[in-house]
Amino acid sequence: MGRRVMRRNPGLWYAMPLILFMLMCFVAPLFIVGWYSLMPARTFDLTADVGLHNYRAAFTDGYGRPLMWSLIGAALTTVITALLAWPTAKILHHHSGRWASLVVALIALPVFISESVRLFGLSVFLMPGGGILAGTLNAVFDVQIGSFLNTRLAALVGMIYIHFPFMLFPLLLGVAMIPTDRVEAARDLGAGRWAVLREVELPLAAPGLLIGGLLTFVLCLGANAEAAILGGRAVTVITAAIEQRFNYAQDWPMGAALTVLVIAATAVLVFPALRRIDLNRIIQR
Amino acid sequence: MTHPPPALTLTGLTKRFGTLTAVDRVSIDIREGEFFTIVGPSGSGKSSLVRLLAGLETPTEGSLLLRGRDITLTPANRRPTAMVFQSLALFDHRSVGQNIEFAMKMKGVKPGLRRDRAMDLLRLVRLPEDYYDRSVTQCSGGERQRVALARALGSDPEILFFDEPLSAIDYRLRKTLEVELKELHQRTGKTFVYITHSLEEAMVMSDRIAIMRAGQFVQIGTPDEIYRRPVNRFVAGFMGEVNILAVSQTDGAPMFADLGLPAHGAQGAYAVLRPESLSPGNGRAVSFDAEVTLKLMLGSRTQYHMRAVGKSLIAEVGAATHTDLSIGQNARFSFDPADIAWVDG
Amino acid sequence: MSGGRHMLWLKVLWVGTLLAALYMPILSVLLASLANTRYMRFPHRVWSLDAYRAAAADYSTVTLHMISLQIALFVVLISVVLGTVGAMAYARYDWRGRSLFQKLLVLPIFFPQPVLGLALLLSFTAVGIAPSWQTAVVAHAVWIVPIVTLVISIRLFGYDVAQEEAAVDLGASRWQVAREVTLPALWPGIFSGALFAFLLSWSNLPLSIYTSGADTPLPVWLFSRTATNYSPLVPAVAVVGTIVSGLIVLALVVVRRILSPGMATDTRRN
Repeated sequence: MGRRVMRRNPGLWYAMPLILFMLMCFVAPLFIVGWYSLMPARTFDLTADVGLHNYRAAFTDGYGRPLMWSLIGAALTTVITALLAWPTAKILHHHSGRWASLVVALIALPVFISESVRLFGLSVFLMPGGGILAGTLNAVFDVQIGSFLNTRLAALVGMIYIHFPFMLFPLLLGVAMIPTDRVEAARDLGAGRWAVLREVELPLAAPGLLIGGLLTFVLCLGANAEAAILGGRAVTVITAAIEQRFNYAQDWPMGAALTVLVIAATAVLVFPALRRIDLNRIIQR
Repeated sequence: MTHPPPALTLTGLTKRFGTLTAVDRVSIDIREGEFFTIVGPSGSGKSSLVRLLAGLETPTEGSLLLRGRDITLTPANRRPTAMVFQSLALFDHRSVGQNIEFAMKMKGVKPGLRRDRAMDLLRLVRLPEDYYDRSVTQCSGGERQRVALARALGSDPEILFFDEPLSAIDYRLRKTLEVELKELHQRTGKTFVYITHSLEEAMVMSDRIAIMRAGQFVQIGTPDEIYRRPVNRFVAGFMGEVNILAVSQTDGAPMFADLGLPAHGAQGAYAVLRPESLSPGNGRAVSFDAEVTLKLMLGSRTQYHMRAVGKSLIAEVGAATHTDLSIGQNARFSFDPADIAWVDG
Repeated sequence: MSGGRHMLWLKVLWVGTLLAALYMPILSVLLASLANTRYMRFPHRVWSLDAYRAAAADYSTVTLHMISLQIALFVVLISVVLGTVGAMAYARYDWRGRSLFQKLLVLPIFFPQPVLGLALLLSFTAVGIAPSWQTAVVAHAVWIVPIVTLVISIRLFGYDVAQEEAAVDLGASRWQVAREVTLPALWPGIFSGALFAFLLSWSNLPLSIYTSGADTPLPVWLFSRTATNYSPLVPAVAVVGTIVSGLIVLALVVVRRILSPGMATDTRRN
């Protein structure tokens, strides 16, 4: 009997281990967090009365600000990495060959170096006075420069730096989905450079742009290390606020409520976007 | 009668890619309202030439005038011409209507006006009006051809270019579309420049045909001229199966070397003889013996392949002719020297 | 034509600047590690390898690496097994729930990692599991297993199923088909999946930071030491850690090169 089911639907059986793993280690934890967020403040009990007061408190107790910073940072990073990655992807696609492959490999490589190492490097580079940049300029050109380390801008630069590859690689796939003849047809029918971009290139590369944008935005929404290492105390992001609730304030239900809010913001973006994208088609390329 | 300027004037048009010369000093006037077809095998440079004409490539040398205006360096989007691409290059992310309106949108035509015009064009290419909102991905092969045609016409071009648009289509549909294209040409009165590798296709539709080889025009003429008076073996061979007989001079008298027969009145180094000009029996002026090696039934005609002395030849007989030869049989075949087209190269 | 030349230089400049920007911080870590002063004052008055000597002598350097390695190895094992089996469901078979499965599987990738880490921390604690390197393995796996599944699926999409039918037709059993046809075809995908899993786990900060408890993996240690208690030891350990991961990857590639022909002869002998 089992054998017959297996024969008819082997896919489901192969999917089973993954489904079970994800249910246990991904879905269940999210449920626990969701349940915790409904508990009274500062309790470790999971059986108390259910209520929405943590969510109310989230908006009245000043957690709106960190959430806003995270959203703004994520949005800015997404837009800026997209602007940087688009011409890069076009160049690498247009000149595909040995050099382009080398460049792509070189861009990919740092992704596998821990972001704590890279962000630390960025802070050493930007450090005022004796930093790599300031120190070199001082020693070689006798120029003293200031530094924007420990500002919101520095945190933003860090986010762009870390997340650029996550935008570039999907976009490379996206740009590869633009057939040359469509661009030529548009030009032949009177489209200028901008019209070609707007009417043909962007719509055709949209799946790549969407995936890259989504990935970048979502990763940035939770990003914490950039603000911690480069932003100094200039900015508190939502992840830092959640962590603070969990660790120092020992207020798990409040931390859980904030977590649920971030997850909700993520879900609002991810679900509609993923419904539009045919991942199969992109992966098969 | 005054002559209007030609639709296109090509003067010494040349395109080189590195060391390869794709288009080699092509000069010609393409007349207003003409259906002009460029025929050549792949690699002959015909696609490069049409891309030069459409402005998708810039020529290395030479000039191009459109109704007397120099457009040599004008980019494609500023030329009042439109092309139907080999791949059609339809915008799959847009509806049929949006595809057709694309050029009008680029020119800033108001949406209402665009829609009216798109509807006219749908009728013109014989597509139902409710196709307007359909996705081009839902269209069949023939429908996609019509959408591509309507899209090109949507820019109201002075000249339409076609880069082998029918090459990937099955035979029956291609025949239908050839006729429709010819009709459309007559109805619109626009200049059509058509690229194909099929001389048969060119014959059906064109006013004039240019045969292209290695970047140059080998022969330019009406379909009839090309058919009756090919200038060389290359052009003759392009028409499909033909018999080519070398003429040799023996003791000052011309001979068909392969057949060992005198070639009276030879006017070239080679005689081009079409299969239908060669028939079984003794009925025509020049006759010889041959062994039938293959017999092909082609519906309305029957084709015989034969071996005469050292030469393989082909004869075609209409189904109405009651000759029935079988493979291996020795038979007499004959032809009329008047049917020969003489060429030198 | 000179316009085209100009464009080319502009493009080279753009890509060159980009690469420089990407690598400058990494180079900066290297430069920072060559000092022997507690405070960073570049250019160093004395260039020295003292920090590396200190790192080598420090017992905790080894511990950090061992913890990272331990986590990475388990993550590789779990994700390769689950990923290979999962890829069969993702790309090999067409089944009723497949498109839903495909969509849901990528959700952990499109999820803010630190938030995932915090959610897992809360859940582990709620059910009474103290965070340790084992919980970090689970956290990494939640994120990495889907990625490895996709990597192996890419390989599987280009795989002609008729090969398996041909093998069955030639008398192979189900197990023989898997061993002789399916796995060898998947092997390159599995290998790159394993590399991905290793590197992503080794370098991960946002999940480890909340889920590894008292067992500190390398990136977490670096993160905490950049904020407080800085010394040239920090960049030195960062450099060593990066080199070690590079060497491990290199070793895996070499082992694969050596193994592949060996496997081929094995198959022939059977």
